[in-house]
Amino acid sequence: MLPTYCPSCHAQLKVKCLQCENCLTEVSGSYDLPVLALLSAEDQQFILRFVINSGSLKEMASELKLSYPTVRNMLNEIINKIKTYEK
Amino acid sequence: MKSKDFYRLMINPFTRIAGWQAFGVGLVFVILMGVIGTYSKVSFNGVIDAHFVPTMTFAHSFSLLAIDLSCLVVVMWIAGLIISKGFRFVDILGTMTLAKSPLIVFAIAGYFNKATDLASAPANPLAIFHSVSFIVLLILSLFTIIWNITLMYNAFKVSCGVKGSKLVIAFIIALVVSEIISQLVIYQIA
Repeated sequence: MLPTYCPSCHAQLKVKCLQCENCLTEVSGSYDLPVLALLSAEDQQFILRFVINSGSLKEMASELKLSYPTVRNMLNEIINKIKTYEK
Repeated sequence: MKSKDFYRLMINPFTRIAGWQAFGVGLVFVILMGVIGTYSKVSFNGVIDAHFVPTMTFAHSFSLLAIDLSCLVVVMWIAGLIISKGFRFVDILGTMTLAKSPLIVFAIAGYFNKATDLASAPANPLAIFHSVSFIVLLILSLFTIIWNITLMYNAFKVSCGVKGSKLVIAFIIALVVSEIISQLVIYQIA
């Protein structure tokens, strides 16, 4: 799991350096992490399953053995988190 | 199943079951309440009301249950529309129907109800507590009502997907309004 928050002060981390494994070229700078990377592992897993299930909440509910409104509420919470990160 | 999971399921089964499925299970409980309540002479005359009555017919018992459930579902649905968006009517219908299931305890308790001497109550109010069955029913009623309201609250919470004070205030107002409307409808019909 990619670390996204500073273990010392809990501020959001940025990407400082990327390296090519082939020629070892390094690209340095200060890049924002993608919004999806900022979500928890459970939320990322939920989004992955949601896409694999063609965006069907009914199929997600059946797979997770949860009710339809519970799965919809989980999705709404992730949407709210993404909106907060985008701000 | 662990006892913690079982307890969680007892107070909030709606994370697992909602919609038509919950409506089907809830309807079985409501029908049983109507049938048992007729024989045990228990009247469900209000959203969170139940009383022992001298006589009861199938028609009267089922009419009261239909009024209670309709008032509860419609008022909770309207309250949901005010505080939330994008929820399904069938979830409110199903979860609220299933939330009524603890009231079956009242219907069964009717068989064990022995007439309490209420005539002597004004002179000696503590006399009613001399009846063991009355005390047991009183405790049972309190437990059942708390369970019933907890289930209705969780049904509303899961169905509408709202949290915080907005949810609590809307639920309390909707519950009181649905109780008043059900009483008025029952009074008009009776």
